[in-house]
Amino acid sequence: MIFNALVNAALIAPPAMAFSLLFGILKFPNFAIGGYITVGAFAAYTFNVPLGLPLPLAAAAAMLVTALVVWLMHVLVFQPMEEHSAITLLVVSIALTLIIENVIRLFFSADVRGFEIPLERPWKLLGARITPEQVQIIIWSLVIGVALHCLLAYTWIGRAMRAVADNPMLAAIRGVNATRITAFTTAICGALFGLTGVFAGLDLVIEPLVGWNLTIPIFAAAILGGIGSPYGAIVGALLVGLAEEATILFLPSTYKIGVGFVIIAVLLLLRPQGLFGTAEIRK
Amino acid sequence: MSDALLKTRALQSGYGKTIICHDVTLDLAPGEITCIIGPNGAGKSTLLKTIAGVVRPVSGSVTVAGREIAGLPAAQVARSGMAYVPQEANVFRQLTTHENLTMGSWGDKTRTQEACDRIYEMFPDLARLRQTRAGNLSGGQRQMVAFGMALMLAPKVLLLDEPSAGLSPLMVGQMFDIVQRVNGEGVAILMVEQNAIQGLRIADHGIVMAAGRVALQDQASNLLASKEVSELYLGSRS
Repeated sequence: MIFNALVNAALIAPPAMAFSLLFGILKFPNFAIGGYITVGAFAAYTFNVPLGLPLPLAAAAAMLVTALVVWLMHVLVFQPMEEHSAITLLVVSIALTLIIENVIRLFFSADVRGFEIPLERPWKLLGARITPEQVQIIIWSLVIGVALHCLLAYTWIGRAMRAVADNPMLAAIRGVNATRITAFTTAICGALFGLTGVFAGLDLVIEPLVGWNLTIPIFAAAILGGIGSPYGAIVGALLVGLAEEATILFLPSTYKIGVGFVIIAVLLLLRPQGLFGTAEIRK
Repeated sequence: MSDALLKTRALQSGYGKTIICHDVTLDLAPGEITCIIGPNGAGKSTLLKTIAGVVRPVSGSVTVAGREIAGLPAAQVARSGMAYVPQEANVFRQLTTHENLTMGSWGDKTRTQEACDRIYEMFPDLARLRQTRAGNLSGGQRQMVAFGMALMLAPKVLLLDEPSAGLSPLMVGQMFDIVQRVNGEGVAILMVEQNAIQGLRIADHGIVMAAGRVALQDQASNLLASKEVSELYLGSRS
């Protein structure tokens, strides 16, 4: 059970961090992430199955494609609307997810697919069934977490990303070109969503709804950790993963998807700033 | 004063269709302090924001060392040798003191190391607090971070919007000392100040703004001595 919770957490931690980063810079919850993840899954599928690339290469290509798509969506859809309220943009992002999902359904049909990977017998460890793919997901998720931390903490561009998220006006006054930083952030986040699509295809199945089904747990993890705080998102992902697996012990697994909703509802009532977020005090 | 470092000529600006600053013409000579005083809503802050490129001018000109910068976005004005310290939200609260300083040299990252050393020498308190998040600093410390960040690229002109706002009376005095020290290193300063008397005492020139226009311009000492100014603008506040 603990292992499954870890896999869950590893699956939602990178996109939850990306979701948090995007929120920090763009100041609205972007629900188009479901669509973006689906793009990643289908891009990887296209490179892997019809085009016959090995999965690691297909995954890299899918990350590139998704980064490009997310950046394009930002430039074409969200940037022209940046004067609008966060609520408007949120609704737009939900619409965007539906559009992306249905465009994919149009080209690929609603069939359930999987990657072309050698079938391996799951390992048995202390009574748990562990697939090599799941181990890979956990390892890569850790690598991504460390890499993102290094980017944010030790590089110029990472520092600028945090500065723009913190105080865009002051960042401009100090000479930071916010458009460029925002473009970079959307691309990085896009790559993470793309990778999540690949992971989801490995651990679950590839279908047009794959991203949408992950959206609520990702959102729950991000706000659990305090929205806008990428590190909190990691802890949030662990807690959501654990909560989802714990539910299965008591309830039929169909209810698993509801766990995210319950977490969100409880949190918004008790601690709207998240576990690690700081309450905004404005004078 | 044709050798002025910062000049505005017939500068007009505002928000949307509302014009706040009318026809502002001023000069700031190298190494001088000019203090802008005036009642609330006189357009003092808007004037600084316009010079810094945060608010777009409607018409008129702003030059720094002879180069026209009116209408350039703030991010480009930042490379003109002039640095602006806003009144509020003038540090990155989520970043540490040190990270804040490094953001001040975004325009020329090769100078970061040398500039940080210089700022820590200038504000020894900051060296001790380098790993502290700016959001957790006291008001006075935060103001030092804001100053330090603005001074990273050794600007020739510093624009200060109410540097003493929100500070305890004790810190206000220290703040003016710091302003004078920065000025002592040859940086020309244009500052807006609510503490009109203290502001004028350290200034070479004073500008009185009212209703978005320059009402009076003179030597700071003359403004301090003027009966009219003290009755109308300095009030009983000291």
